[in-house]
Amino acid sequence: MHAPVPKQNDPDSHEALLAVLQSAPPTHGVNIRSMSVAPSVVGGASGYALVILLMATLLATVAVAGLMLGSVPIPGGTAVAILANLALGDTLVEPYWRAVHETIVVQTRMPRVVLAALVGASLGVTGMTIQSIVRNPLAGPSILGVSSGAATGAVVVMRWGLLGFGVFTLHISAFLGGLVTLFAVFWVARTGGHITPTRLVLAGVAMSAILSALTSLIVLTSPDPQLASRVLFWTLGGFGTAQWKLIPVPLAALAIGLGVMLVQARRLNLLMAGDESAVALGLNVQRFRQTMFVLAAALIGITVAVAGVIGFVGLIMPHIVRFLVGADHRRALPAVALLGASFTIGADLVARTVIAPLELPVGIVTALAGGPFFIWLLRRDARGLGGSR
Amino acid sequence: MSVRPGTLDLRSVTVKAGRKTLVDRVSIHVREGEMVGLIGPNGAGKSSLLRTAYRINKPASGTVHVNGEDVWRQPTEWVARNVGAVLQDMPADFPLTVRDVVAMGRSAHKKLLEPDTAHDHALLAAAIALMGLAPFQDRAFRTLSGGERQRVLVARALVQQPSILVLDEPTNHLDIHHQLQLLHFLRGLQTTVVAALHDLNLAAMFCDRLCVLDQGHLVAEGTPESVLTSDLLRRVYRIEATIARHPETGNVWVMPSAAPPIG
Repeated sequence: MHAPVPKQNDPDSHEALLAVLQSAPPTHGVNIRSMSVAPSVVGGASGYALVILLMATLLATVAVAGLMLGSVPIPGGTAVAILANLALGDTLVEPYWRAVHETIVVQTRMPRVVLAALVGASLGVTGMTIQSIVRNPLAGPSILGVSSGAATGAVVVMRWGLLGFGVFTLHISAFLGGLVTLFAVFWVARTGGHITPTRLVLAGVAMSAILSALTSLIVLTSPDPQLASRVLFWTLGGFGTAQWKLIPVPLAALAIGLGVMLVQARRLNLLMAGDESAVALGLNVQRFRQTMFVLAAALIGITVAVAGVIGFVGLIMPHIVRFLVGADHRRALPAVALLGASFTIGADLVARTVIAPLELPVGIVTALAGGPFFIWLLRRDARGLGGSR
Repeated sequence: MSVRPGTLDLRSVTVKAGRKTLVDRVSIHVREGEMVGLIGPNGAGKSSLLRTAYRINKPASGTVHVNGEDVWRQPTEWVARNVGAVLQDMPADFPLTVRDVVAMGRSAHKKLLEPDTAHDHALLAAAIALMGLAPFQDRAFRTLSGGERQRVLVARALVQQPSILVLDEPTNHLDIHHQLQLLHFLRGLQTTVVAALHDLNLAAMFCDRLCVLDQGHLVAEGTPESVLTSDLLRRVYRIEATIARHPETGNVWVMPSAAPPIG
């Protein structure tokens, strides 16, 4: 009755494939293992495990380098032994090093390395999540304006000395600045109950510009000549203030943030297919986008509060990771956390050694390393980076 | 238990964009296993109507029932498990592979954190093989041609294991070979299928029933033979056409002869 159509598959195979397509999950006894069609092995589980292993090794290597290098060089073996002693006690690892070395490793360099790792991992995972939320691979954590808001918050407190939270006053004011900006961006982007990716990006860009200008205005009109250099810490980032008591909050934030993102990884994948596809595939796009936006912004606010604005980590790392393990968030999020941590520890290492005994703001290093790479990506793959539609 | 064909019941559906009425009180009932073609000129409201069935366009009035349930009162995941939507295209800003895109179709069936099972892998492999995509399954979606992309989106809808497939011009990027192949495949699926189609002859060849939309109104409905008349084509499409029968298959065959000049 219908026009004859040549079939590419032989009928048996075609029928078998159709039967699989109609099959319920295997609790009903469909023997799918006997099917000749096997899942693709390219980029499969073993390849992914290898990439993760290599990234973990890189992280460990960079972290040990971070403990070794500085104004007082400490041999790698000693640094590792100090760590082992810390974990296992004097009986198993007998101290043979000078006490001052232990103090430098444990009290100065380790919190710094750990903080850099936490901030780098947080920037990596939020960058990846934000790129999916706004469906734009050119977006980064700073695009939402929260970073600028946090810097402004810190500057306001430095200038007028408001708030009284003791040693954490600046951190808390930076976080509050980010939070206020978040709600402002949210309010601007939300029109008619909907938030579109484009409006979110534009609202963030506009808010960033306004807040950067405000920060500059406050600094330039300040009677305190030192303010400009102290502001650099917030606008270009740094780990110079790292100490152990600063670690718990970003650690908890990363654990919670990454945990939620991993739980929601399938849904983050759907957002990459566009709003219409995502709805058709069963996602409540508006609600999900708003939830993830708040989560990402809170995580950024905390990283800025502890380490200032560090650019390019959240923008670049997701690209490298997608190239290595693919765009599926279930695989890419753990990888981007590892790579972001390694990159940031490395950048901090460069920042505190190239002009020693002086220190560069780490944001200068990440921008100088990340910016050209980003431009290279743009030139190499114009179509790939948001070139289509 | 296997996937059974479902029903789609559009009752007096009206869709508006701002003040403009795109679809005006259209009622269509699609029975189990039926293949229904939605035809009509550009801007007739075909896409707008179909989009009410997968929760993109909320009807200003009227209801959309799938398997007896109002889709606008069900969770979005429920709709995705019952209605497989094949969209015209998908943005490709990220380096998703063909397999990544097809795998998205399983999302609504999965609990949070539930890993892909052997069953999911088998479904993906079957859908990819059926759509002839096996050679490209690890290629980036954005490097594919329009026709290949369209087949990926069909595969994605298939792994949703829906009881109804809704397709918005599924053949518009395909060559004639793949057009025939896809429609023949859909016909053989034993699933309920609703498709907006542009090619009247293909629609007549494969559909049990045709529904004609014109400026948001349902103006004709019935078998291809009863719907595709010279009179209707003149009224709806403003063309002159002779209606014949295909010498071998016996299907109605539209042979257009003239359209009025532009302007």
